[in-house]
Amino acid sequence: MFLSKLIRAPKTLAARLTFWYSAAFYLLLLVSLVGMFIAVSTLLETRMENDLREDIEEFNILYQQHGLNRVLFEINQEIMYENPEHFFIRLFNSQGELLLHSDLSQWRQLPTANNLLNALSQQKDILLKKMSHIDEDLTSYTAYGKIGKDLIMHTGESNQDQQETLDIIKIVSAIIFCIIIPIGALIGWLTARKAVSGIKAVSAAAADIEQGIFDRQVSVNSKGDEIDELANTFNAMADRINTLIEEMREMTDNIAHDLRSPLARIRAISESTLSSQVNSDSCHKAASDTLEECDRLLQMINMTLDVAEAEADVRETKVDLVDLNYLTEDACELFSPVAEHKNIKLSTHLSGPCTVQGNKHNLQRMLTNLIDNALKYTPEKGEVIVELENEKSDAILKVADTGIGIPEPERSRIFDRFYRCDQSRTQEGCGLGLCYSRAVARSHGGDIKLKTALNRSSVFEVSLPLSK
Amino acid sequence: MIVYVAEQVPSMKILLIEDDHVIAEHIIKGMKEAGYSIEHASDGLSGVSLALSESYDVAIIDLMLPKLDGLSIIDLIRDKKINFPIIILSAKRSVDERICGLQHGGDDYLTKPFSFSELLARVKALLRRSSNVVEPTSMIYQDLELDLLSRTVSRAGKKVELQPKEFSLLEYLLRNQGHIVSKTMIMERVWDYHFDPGTNVVEARVSKLREKIDKEFDKPLIHTVRGLGYVLKQAD
Repeated sequence: MFLSKLIRAPKTLAARLTFWYSAAFYLLLLVSLVGMFIAVSTLLETRMENDLREDIEEFNILYQQHGLNRVLFEINQEIMYENPEHFFIRLFNSQGELLLHSDLSQWRQLPTANNLLNALSQQKDILLKKMSHIDEDLTSYTAYGKIGKDLIMHTGESNQDQQETLDIIKIVSAIIFCIIIPIGALIGWLTARKAVSGIKAVSAAAADIEQGIFDRQVSVNSKGDEIDELANTFNAMADRINTLIEEMREMTDNIAHDLRSPLARIRAISESTLSSQVNSDSCHKAASDTLEECDRLLQMINMTLDVAEAEADVRETKVDLVDLNYLTEDACELFSPVAEHKNIKLSTHLSGPCTVQGNKHNLQRMLTNLIDNALKYTPEKGEVIVELENEKSDAILKVADTGIGIPEPERSRIFDRFYRCDQSRTQEGCGLGLCYSRAVARSHGGDIKLKTALNRSSVFEVSLPLSK
Repeated sequence: MIVYVAEQVPSMKILLIEDDHVIAEHIIKGMKEAGYSIEHASDGLSGVSLALSESYDVAIIDLMLPKLDGLSIIDLIRDKKINFPIIILSAKRSVDERICGLQHGGDDYLTKPFSFSELLARVKALLRRSSNVVEPTSMIYQDLELDLLSRTVSRAGKKVELQPKEFSLLEYLLRNQGHIVSKTMIMERVWDYHFDPGTNVVEARVSKLREKIDKEFDKPLIHTVRGLGYVLKQAD
């Protein structure tokens, strides 16, 4: 178990994050340490050269103010204090004769006085020169220049002190590097772990849902980061799945119940025809009754499927421009004989162009559903008004009636599948019309609302986004 | 003037490939009564061999069949460049299925359960299309006359005023004279509504039409057949 985890580890996101994080971290650290080392060594070198230059300048001033004896005295002082292995000093006159020098046993390959004279005759300034040292790890820095008009001073020293400082910096850097490696890796690992822990929670929840625990949710730590976003999206998805499953369960129960009644009637018709005296008239009646019940069953099944399809947006593959004005006029024309028959005044109020994008058949069906409902529940001599107007970016379609109204407690449920108000049970229908209408409105990016007053009127208001 | 005369079609031959015997018998009986000759195959393979060996004017093919499915049959038939019109029967009603069927070379698609009158109307429509019958300019049934050019109707020489939709409805009934047309068919053909828009829309329309066509005359022509639809015929 542990072994397999370890083998899998390099492939995990956390391991890869750790690797890249640490690699980048070390690289940066290395670059900064090397940079610092180069800067320090350059600084030390410049400082040494400046010291040598200043030495010669000081002796020059000394010579001009106090004369040769004072210079010779000071040089002797210096020779006494300095280690001859790492320091030398020579003083020539202008003929190249050595006036004074320190112990030169450790210093070989020093240039001859003539060389120095030649170099200086071309250039008046102090000259600096690097040389090898008897100790191969070290380098010598030398300088020579004129003292007054007659003397030439040549001095030099090794970079032993500087080298020691640089060695200490090297050791400290190595130690820092060694300490930082495990700490960096650890921090990287922890950060990566924290970053992916949210993903792990979501994946665990997804695994649960896969196992059939549909009401599973991921806890959100409300930091508003990407992981939260993922968790929120995931929860919304899980919610939707759960709701759909619940609805499906409820729908199956409802269908089973609502399909039973027409089936029971068909059964009763057939049974009574079979068990009674058969003549051709009664057979005929039984057959047409059965047909009617079958059609009702079929309509209910189709309607259920249509609602499901509209809710799943499955049909929204067909998107064309639909002129709502035309649709409304057409539908009202269709229903005018029905209204006339019931002595209901059916009128339309259209204002301005109203074009939406969507499925013409579904919108047509939604509209006829609403008008059909209005006509069904409006008593004789009533009025049904279909109103269409555009409001900002929405088309507002209102179907108002002077019908029986919908009692308060039932208003919230009228859009549910198979829900039928008490008063509507005597009317023909399957309790899916409003549910379908809402599904269509929503699949077109709109919605449907009910405004009603008991015993007075119901107004169904559909809002659909206008096409741009 | 070309006058529409019904019942001139028969001697047409129909191929039916359907494995459900009850439905098959129902269709065979109906088609024979309507004057067509019909041959039936109850599985895909025998259906294909019939389709490839003999010539038909129209084929009715179920999609779910034993041995060979309907779409494959249509593919085989169309591959052999046999071009008789095909009506697909299927219990699947999704739009995608329908489009798929038509793309394979079907000419029409009918969802089960269906009414026989609707199947018959579709068969007739396909036959009309494939036999290139010239569109009539007027239709006459008994003393009812309908002029498609001037869009006027008269009965027993007396002019009848009809609204445009009423005219279309009467025209549709006349085209199917003697045969029942269902409410669904009327809604589809006359109003282009592919669903049942509500309780009694068609009834209200038909009764208005009846008032104008039949009320003042002895013999009613438009009859309601309970559970099935409407028919234009002479009273029994």
